[in-house]
Amino acid sequence: MRRNNNQNVLISAAAKGSTWTRLSIFVMGTGCVRYKQYIRGLIYFLTEIGFFCFFRNFALQYLSKFSTLGTETQKKVWNEELQIFQRFPGDNSMLILLYSVLSLAVVIVFVYIWYANIRDAWNAQQSLEQGRKINGFRDDLRSLTHERFHITLLSMPMLTLVLFTLLPIIFMILIAFTNFDADHQPPGNLFTWVGMTNVTDIFLGNEIKTNTFFGLLGWTIIWAILATFTNYILGMLLAVAINSKMVKLKQVWRTCFIIAIAIPQFVSLLLISRALEPAGAVNVLLQKVGLISQPLPFLLDPTLARITVVVVNMWIGIPYTMMTFSGVLMNIPAELYESAEIDGAGPIRRFTSITLPYMIFVTAPATITTFVTNFNNFNVIYLLTAGGPFSLDYYQAGKTDLLVTWLYKLTVNRNDYSLASTIGIFIFVLVSTCSLLVYNRTGAVRKEDQFR
Amino acid sequence: MKKIIALLMAVLMTVGMLAACSNTPVENNPPADETKGQVDTPETPDTPAEKEKVTLKVWADQGELELIEKLCNEFAAAHTEKEYTFEYGAVGAVDGKTRYLEDPAAAADVFLFADDQLVDLVKADALYEVTRNTDAIIAANTPGSIGAASYEGTLYGYPMTSDNGYFLYYDKSVFTEEDLATLDGILAAANAAGKQVHMDVSNGWYLASFFLGNGCKLTIEDGKQVIDFNNANGLAAAEAIRTFCNNPAFVTGDDSVLAGGIGDAIACGVSGTWMATAIQEKLGDNYGCCKLPTFTCGDKQIQMGSFLGCKIYGVNSQTAYPVDAMELAEYLTAEAAQIERYKVLNYGPSNVNALADETIASNLALQALSAQSEFAVSQMVLGGFWTPAEAFGAELEAHSTADLQTMLDQLVAQALQG
Repeated sequence: MRRNNNQNVLISAAAKGSTWTRLSIFVMGTGCVRYKQYIRGLIYFLTEIGFFCFFRNFALQYLSKFSTLGTETQKKVWNEELQIFQRFPGDNSMLILLYSVLSLAVVIVFVYIWYANIRDAWNAQQSLEQGRKINGFRDDLRSLTHERFHITLLSMPMLTLVLFTLLPIIFMILIAFTNFDADHQPPGNLFTWVGMTNVTDIFLGNEIKTNTFFGLLGWTIIWAILATFTNYILGMLLAVAINSKMVKLKQVWRTCFIIAIAIPQFVSLLLISRALEPAGAVNVLLQKVGLISQPLPFLLDPTLARITVVVVNMWIGIPYTMMTFSGVLMNIPAELYESAEIDGAGPIRRFTSITLPYMIFVTAPATITTFVTNFNNFNVIYLLTAGGPFSLDYYQAGKTDLLVTWLYKLTVNRNDYSLASTIGIFIFVLVSTCSLLVYNRTGAVRKEDQFR
Repeated sequence: MKKIIALLMAVLMTVGMLAACSNTPVENNPPADETKGQVDTPETPDTPAEKEKVTLKVWADQGELELIEKLCNEFAAAHTEKEYTFEYGAVGAVDGKTRYLEDPAAAADVFLFADDQLVDLVKADALYEVTRNTDAIIAANTPGSIGAASYEGTLYGYPMTSDNGYFLYYDKSVFTEEDLATLDGILAAANAAGKQVHMDVSNGWYLASFFLGNGCKLTIEDGKQVIDFNNANGLAAAEAIRTFCNNPAFVTGDDSVLAGGIGDAIACGVSGTWMATAIQEKLGDNYGCCKLPTFTCGDKQIQMGSFLGCKIYGVNSQTAYPVDAMELAEYLTAEAAQIERYKVLNYGPSNVNALADETIASNLALQALSAQSEFAVSQMVLGGFWTPAEAFGAELEAHSTADLQTMLDQLVAQALQG
């Protein structure tokens, strides 16, 4: 409907518009000026001039090289007088890509403004022909605080969102289709488009990269499930236990567990990682007590290292879930329990029929968030094991690496930006699809209005 | 009224977002300007202005900055014909390459890197060749350090130190001179004393010692890694590593493990000069260091090899003042500066005359390093080697019984990718 409208405006303005309306197609603002919208017309005209200046002086040099991402590397020429190989700057693929994206965004915005200019001219022409009132600049300003107030409100947030979130994301996505890696570093080497090579490398082509990707993906999913649900279930049980009538000194218990949160996470993780080394505190203690004769390879054996990270994550995560559940528990109306008790329900029945559904209903959306956080749980893995023990089957990764820590290593240690970017896109697609699907099926969303 | 409040909220949000993001544009913009600015800079150095203004940015490790600042000021005082302004950044040799490649145009004019980053930097055309005063610089430094700063016959940097190698620290109360000659002797003596022998085998840098000793090749040709750890010699060395790791006296861990344990549970360990002070403090009169021992490989005794690396000052190929930057780099790595650096920071010099200096020549750790340097090679390694080497070492440390030939083949295949 709307699309039709757009086309209609352009076609009818071109076909039936007055000379001035038609002239707006080339010289923006002329139509508006003709129909006495002087300021509006002037703004359109200045926009056009500004755009062409921007395009000629800035955008053109980058957009013209966008298809190749630059061909000239930095040149060196022997300078006899200075006795040096003088350098002359060449192209920089990264800057070409970055500014091209920016320029393209500006072009798109400009095309929309150009369209709006024709539409306004056409509307004004029709209003004049049909004897309706043509809005002046004062009316336009007034409408921005009345019927078009939403535009006033949202324009700045939208602009910043596009500039600082959308454009960088597009930039990153584009990198996935280039060969920007350790061997293609500007200014000495330029990178260029390689199509789907990175994607095929991961999914079929390159044996070791495919192996690494699926190995890590499997572990990442196992980890996310284990980390989320161990914390969820144990935290819930802990909260129920502390909240039960038989337990005295509730505050003291809660405080004890919260102390674990009070220490910054990275400090405790680094300390634990030290303590679990073969010559670390835990092994030395166990050996001195005489429980073991050889140090246990907590972080060196693949299976044991995986168990270790899950257990340590429980220690770090359970206090948080306990806090959440304590809050939820205290909010369950006591009448529910009282009436259940009168009806003859025992403690287990009361838990499964009242406490559990209530808690799941309230915490489901938060649990999805936790799952996504765990999927990308950089801190625990990187600070505790740094992905180790490294494996010869994997490309630059270890047995406890998550996709996100692998991505980090590829960028920071190996400058393998294109591969990392491809993995980043994949993580994004996977996580967003899953969480949207699950989120829309949770009770809290479907039965939003019937909070129990 | 509601509308006004809503509008205010929107403005506030926007301002908040802008403030939060303000770093992004600031970081992104300079490269464009500076790259443009470069076009007309080449003329500047040779136009004889009355008092030309030169701004140079210098990178050094946090701990070295104070000394660097002093040396830079001395340099400015010695070159009064120009007006020098210095900027400093705390980027040490370890991060030199990474931080440089993040944004070459915004990187320091004179920056520090470890010799194993040289090839990557040369490939990215990051460094000015040393083309001024070259012969004097080559003559002033040890051949090893010049080799480490050169790639395919061209000198790309100014060696600052030549102490990035490893040797054996030991507790004199545990070992006799004879024990220290062979790894078997060391292990026997340590076992007899109920103590341990430390070596971080799950670190490619130390792991390579066995392979290099047994004649394996680890180098770079035409920008590609050359590695043959999976041949018969490599396999024999790997067997020896497995035997070493399975010995009850063997213990692994990083430097902190060695520093914490030496004198108590640990009798000797392999590390470099940066640990000398800490270990000397713990061992006191029992402090000793020497070259690495020989190890049993098949039925022969083979001397363990090692890397000998340097820290090198390089001149950014995008600097606006190449000549001044070169002069400064040369000054920062000259004999006087290297002696000063030894006195303040205990760094072993690469300068021949500085090495002959009395206080430096009498340093035990540097003596051991120099004895080991006979069996050392410079670190021609691309980034792809380290992770698989760590994986290989870690498997042996965990007493894996997997087939060594397969593991070595995997190691080599991965290292070749880097």
